[in-house]
Amino acid sequence: MIPIKLQIQHIHKAFKNHVTALEDISFSISQGEFVSVIGPSGAGKTTLFRLLNGTEDCTKGQILIDDHPMENIRRQQKRQFKKNMSTIYQDFCLVENSSCLENVLTAALPDMSFFPAVLGLYGTARTEKALQLLTRVGLAEKEQEPVKNLSGGQKQRTAIARALMRQPSLLLADEPIASLDPVTGRQILSLLKDIQQKDGVTVLMNSHNLELSMEFSHRLIGLNNGRIVFDGSPDEINDSVIRTIYGNSSVCSLNKNRKDVGL
Amino acid sequence: MTRSSKNRWKGLACFLLFLCLFLFTVVYTQCDPVLFWKRRSHLTDLLSGMFPMDFAYIPHILTPLFYTIQMSVTGTVIGSVLACILAPACAGSMDFPKWIRYVLRFLIQILRSFPALILALCATFLFGLGTFAGTFAITLYTFAIMTRLTYQDMEAASPLAYQALRTMGVSRFPAYIHGLFPEIASSFFTNALYMLETNVRHSSILGYVGAGGIGLLLNEKISWLEYEKVGAILLVLFLAVFTIENLSRYLAALIRKECTLKKKYIKLLLFFLTALFIVCTITLSPPDFGRTSLQTMKNMFSGFLSPDWGFFFSTKKDGLFTLILETLCIAFAGTVIGTVFSIPLSFVNTRRFVSGSVAFIFNLLIIAIRSIPFLIYGLIFIRVSGPGPFTGVLTLSMCSIGLLTKRFTEALDAIDLKAYRALLAMGAHPVPAICHGILPQLKPIFISIFLYRFDVNIREASVLGLVGAGGIGAPLIFSMNQYAWEKAGAILLGLILLVWLIDMISVKINHIL
Repeated sequence: MIPIKLQIQHIHKAFKNHVTALEDISFSISQGEFVSVIGPSGAGKTTLFRLLNGTEDCTKGQILIDDHPMENIRRQQKRQFKKNMSTIYQDFCLVENSSCLENVLTAALPDMSFFPAVLGLYGTARTEKALQLLTRVGLAEKEQEPVKNLSGGQKQRTAIARALMRQPSLLLADEPIASLDPVTGRQILSLLKDIQQKDGVTVLMNSHNLELSMEFSHRLIGLNNGRIVFDGSPDEINDSVIRTIYGNSSVCSLNKNRKDVGL
Repeated sequence: MTRSSKNRWKGLACFLLFLCLFLFTVVYTQCDPVLFWKRRSHLTDLLSGMFPMDFAYIPHILTPLFYTIQMSVTGTVIGSVLACILAPACAGSMDFPKWIRYVLRFLIQILRSFPALILALCATFLFGLGTFAGTFAITLYTFAIMTRLTYQDMEAASPLAYQALRTMGVSRFPAYIHGLFPEIASSFFTNALYMLETNVRHSSILGYVGAGGIGLLLNEKISWLEYEKVGAILLVLFLAVFTIENLSRYLAALIRKECTLKKKYIKLLLFFLTALFIVCTITLSPPDFGRTSLQTMKNMFSGFLSPDWGFFFSTKKDGLFTLILETLCIAFAGTVIGTVFSIPLSFVNTRRFVSGSVAFIFNLLIIAIRSIPFLIYGLIFIRVSGPGPFTGVLTLSMCSIGLLTKRFTEALDAIDLKAYRALLAMGAHPVPAICHGILPQLKPIFISIFLYRFDVNIREASVLGLVGAGGIGAPLIFSMNQYAWEKAGAILLGLILLVWLIDMISVKINHIL
């Protein structure tokens, strides 16, 4: 694993209908951190993630990966950077009719040439590695099970194994627990924490769940209306911070606020 | 007015409109049930002529039968593989270049408008008479239908996994194969098996235009009035269709994982199917370019590209508009009559409502109806009702009964019976229980099946003219055989527009449902 440094400098994102989603976003993340982006719906969390994994381009500002701006990187190198980065999603984005093992193996496709990729000739080394990863996420006995027969938590575990298959330095987790029940959500976050601690992978997550985000991350970034309104450790969170992130309508007490933001 | 009574009025208005349309088509096609009843004895002439069948003739049929199966197997496999490769480029949900999508969709829409028989006729001008032309036509036809069905499936499937793979940096085609195809694979293979069944029926009449197979023989024996031999051919065809349908039903169940098979048997089955395909492809007769001249092809394409506009816009009795309207009316009346008969038939065709033996007998009857090529029906009915559109309506009704009953039965096998059982448990008579517990569930499915069949029947109706059963077929095939390409081009253009229009209307109706 190659450690990477991610710097985000003065990013703006406006859509074609002139709606500004992000305004002047800057922060940087060093290798091995567990960072959560929090904020109300429509704050721009998902847009930020789409910019980071290269699905969309920002209108102003730049994203630096190891001091190289992302949009200037040539295609070949871009692939290299994409390789160091994996994403897991709220709705898992797995192939429902394929087995767990096949889903994990699809992460090896970008490294393969066209015909082996089309025919799915992964070879024993890759299969071996995928099986190890399935064991790591606790799904060893489900390898041949079609994903559609799995529970939500098991699906997210498969997606994590698929992300790890790329040996990423940075794991982007876009609302990883939003479609899971609280107990399963906590298990998934523990798994992510474990990956961050043992493998030194940077985890950048966005979440609605303030309580769990505070429990698991080193650092929280609060977004409101497309701007960063908070950047600090979970200890610094207090009622007034919550009010700036989630708006004035939220009631004063922290506990009550937690209920308000969907806990 | 309450909402439910408003809906009832709306439903009634739709029904009345539908009835008016039906009555108009019936009158326009000169349907005359009284005449049919009076001359019913003529119907039995030909049928009784087929018995006793000439069993000694059967060995002579086997080679042409093999050709027929060869054309359908090779055409279906190659067409489906092409469809599997090209369909992603047609799907709106995937990020292939837009211009490829428009070009391909346009091509498919055009190919889809022609009946397989017309494609085969064109192919004989290119590749000479024989099975190669037939295979080519079946391949094109399968390709057009399968691509359309497959890209529609793709658009309905979730693109998330595909997009996730693309984000990881997988190139488009591998991402499609591993990210999206597994989601639609079972429906793809089921459709391919359907196509195989349809193609066996289609290729059994290709002989009429010299494209090889059993149709050639059938045509010959009918014109020589050797009805015992016709009976023998039909018996063999029935057995072939019966075997293929049961095989494909079994394979479809395997694909949908409704039944299981040991791994070694699956391997054996795959080996057998691959071997069948290879044998069929290798033994295909090579194209005969001996009689293709560059000049003919040039004339053909220039004729297609510059249709006879005078004929195209003519509103006279032998003009294009009248002919197209007649074709449309034959197709509509035929589909409606077929539907009326197949709904009750489909209820006695499934084990869910009647005992196994009754279902089996009706099943055999329906397969028998289905296995007879539709042109044979044309030849049978022409003795009763004489040449003209009425014969066309009768012919298409018979075909529709065979095919619609099958589709309806499948729909019946798939629906939820809880409401029906609850009504029975309350002591309701089965017939009202069906009316209130089952029909409401079936309405949208049946309507979409009806629309699909209507779409297919337009194409069938456009070749009925071959046996004198009215519609646009006779002028089309005559003009092609006389190398009058401008006229043929005008008719084909009319057909393309008609199929496109009906397609738009059925999409609208399906949308409302």
